[in-house]
Amino acid sequence: MTRAAQAEQTLKLARKSAALVDAQRFAEDALSYCTPECREAVTLAVCELGENLIKYGSGDELEAGTIGVSVEDDTVRVRATNRVSSEEDALRVRELVSQIESSGGAVRELYRARLQELFEHPELPRAQLGLLRMAFEGGFRLTCSYERSELQIVAERTCAGPP
Amino acid sequence: MKLGEKVAVESLEVELKTPTELRLAGTLSTPTAQAEFRRLLQDLHAQIVAAKTPAFAVDVQALRFVNSTAIRAFVDWISRAAHAGYTLAFKTNASVTWHRLSFSVLKSLAPSTVEIVETRATPAGGGSAT
Repeated sequence: MTRAAQAEQTLKLARKSAALVDAQRFAEDALSYCTPECREAVTLAVCELGENLIKYGSGDELEAGTIGVSVEDDTVRVRATNRVSSEEDALRVRELVSQIESSGGAVRELYRARLQELFEHPELPRAQLGLLRMAFEGGFRLTCSYERSELQIVAERTCAGPP
Repeated sequence: MKLGEKVAVESLEVELKTPTELRLAGTLSTPTAQAEFRRLLQDLHAQIVAAKTPAFAVDVQALRFVNSTAIRAFVDWISRAAHAGYTLAFKTNASVTWHRLSFSVLKSLAPSTVEIVETRATPAGGGSAT
């Protein structure tokens, strides 16, 4: 873990199963002064984004991607950046982020609809619940950019705690 | 699973407390733990069906964090329970955000199969009030 900037703590995630334990610890420590609800939300975001980096990133074995956590005024920001192995995956992520953001307050319905799909089709290979949970359970606003094989997802929410 | 046996899968603890109640505690985030968790639930489903158990309880109050794969595992279990004809009662902790939000959605998938029994335990795991 390093402090890449004054307000951002970053974690370079290795491509191994145990890296998600590191990610969880990183998230819990990053905002130790916040309310339990805010810490839960950030832990959720870091772990879900971290799992995606490990599963779908194209980085080498040593680094699947980078996750940063920062606080500015009353906003906490979680940023995940990685090179992707499949453009199709990146475009699917961008489309899902777009759907979530245009759903307004109806993200619960999007989440429910995905669970219903999985309930009716247990053979579906991918859960694709991480971003939906971040928006629904974590209350994050999501943005996504994809340029030159690099995918960046930024999740922001109100931080209920001192900076 | 054997009655009273505690299985530790990394930071996840699984215990069959009674023939009709499973307790889950800790956290579940790594692919290794996810795979083992899914296998445990599949085995447990087979046991429940073999014993013709009509109702099964799952105490998740001390299950602090899970990733999406665990949510998927719960969806699959609910689906199997609905097809097999037994009910699942999840004992949740309302002070944990993901319990409060996700289990209500999980119940909506199969309202006659899933029951939510919500308590409000203190974060330190002290007293609780229904």
